[in-house]
Amino acid sequence: MTTELDVPYLDIADPGFAMHSQAVRDARARSWYAKTNYGYAILRHEYVSTLLKDPRLRQGSAKWPEHNGVHSGLFYDWWTKCLLVLEGEDHHRIRRLLNPAFSLKHLEPYLPRFEALADELIDDFLPNGQVEFVNEFAQPYATRVLCILLGIPESEWPTIARLASTIGLALGVTLQQDLAEVEAAIAELYVYAEDLIRDRQVNPGPDLVSRLVEANRNGDSLSDDELRNALCLLIFGGMDTTRNQLGLGVMSFLQHPEQWELLAAHPELAPAAVEEVMRTNPTTTWVTRETVVDFDYEELHIDAGTTVHFFTQVSGTDPQAYPNPEIDITAERVGHYGFGGGMHHCLGHFVARADMAIALRALSSKMTNLRINGVDEWMPDSGNTGPVLLPLAFDRR
Amino acid sequence: MKVIVDRTKCDNHGQCTFAAPTVFRLDERGILQYEENVDESLRDEVEEASDVCPAQAIRISD
Repeated sequence: MTTELDVPYLDIADPGFAMHSQAVRDARARSWYAKTNYGYAILRHEYVSTLLKDPRLRQGSAKWPEHNGVHSGLFYDWWTKCLLVLEGEDHHRIRRLLNPAFSLKHLEPYLPRFEALADELIDDFLPNGQVEFVNEFAQPYATRVLCILLGIPESEWPTIARLASTIGLALGVTLQQDLAEVEAAIAELYVYAEDLIRDRQVNPGPDLVSRLVEANRNGDSLSDDELRNALCLLIFGGMDTTRNQLGLGVMSFLQHPEQWELLAAHPELAPAAVEEVMRTNPTTTWVTRETVVDFDYEELHIDAGTTVHFFTQVSGTDPQAYPNPEIDITAERVGHYGFGGGMHHCLGHFVARADMAIALRALSSKMTNLRINGVDEWMPDSGNTGPVLLPLAFDRR
Repeated sequence: MKVIVDRTKCDNHGQCTFAAPTVFRLDERGILQYEENVDESLRDEVEEASDVCPAQAIRISD
């Protein structure tokens, strides 16, 4: 039992705050929750598992524009109608119409193309013995996977990457000053998405956009606006996350070369490798919820409207749930929350799991003795994180 | 047909409740409750629930 005096405080707005720190591990050892600048943080796996899916909490990002002084406009309108922040029947209806298109059986035909893409990108830099991993692999791979799924020419990936990164600025605390740029990117992406939808309405193919155009349950289908909003969310949510997670994954293996060698020797462990890097080194280091009602849980009372952050890396390395929490791609593990959880569980997780497994398998099959080759640069170790620059040297296998 | 949920895999994300709301529901604590014996007319819905389950915990036994 945690008494009020024992409750740790974590200054998560401090740019120097780090999830991978002794202060956070100490907090987790002392208490299942901490107070933060914004509300509360849940630190232990058992409590994240239970509370993340508790119906008394809702997705916590709905008021993000307002909290940053944005009350109208293109970004505001898109964000407030976005699946990410919808709740109740509005959410369930759209989620139900979107979900089947993202299922494993629809993904399987694309896997050979992901494999070919990984090989193509690796073979480009392999003779050099060095690579700037973010710009030469992770970003083109993550974006071209999206292009393949959406049926967009892969040559257009730089446009998609630029728009996704610009809209990503909307998640930063500098939203106000970036707003004009963000809205210009949304406007450009809208035109792109609308053209795509119109084309697939006339010329349906095997791609994801066609599946969404055709999605229909009991006579209900997605309107053109809903389709456009969903495609923008997909591009916004699918690119940066995968790019960042690939960089984090490779960094984890660089720090655990014996695991990298194990993966190279046992490529069938690639799916487990993805789970292990997402558990121990996730790009989404916290998932945000907000209490809908006054809330009592064990000794904790939370007022309605309070922000609750679920710390995914911290709960993913909780020794109570993972007795040997270091990365081990052969271990049987309970599930992690790197993809969030509950009704807002990541829509694209099958895609992300499959494309990252393919990438790690291909990389480990061709590269060994990974090391940092110059100056690496990282986003802060909180919120959504990952490498900005990850220059690597390696030996060919 | 019979619906089988592997409780060791199920993590109560509730995606199945969107696909087949008359078969699967979350109780007030957010824990999955479901019908085990389901009419054949709901096969498509239950198959969709199985396909979209993040934990791949649902299967159908004929």
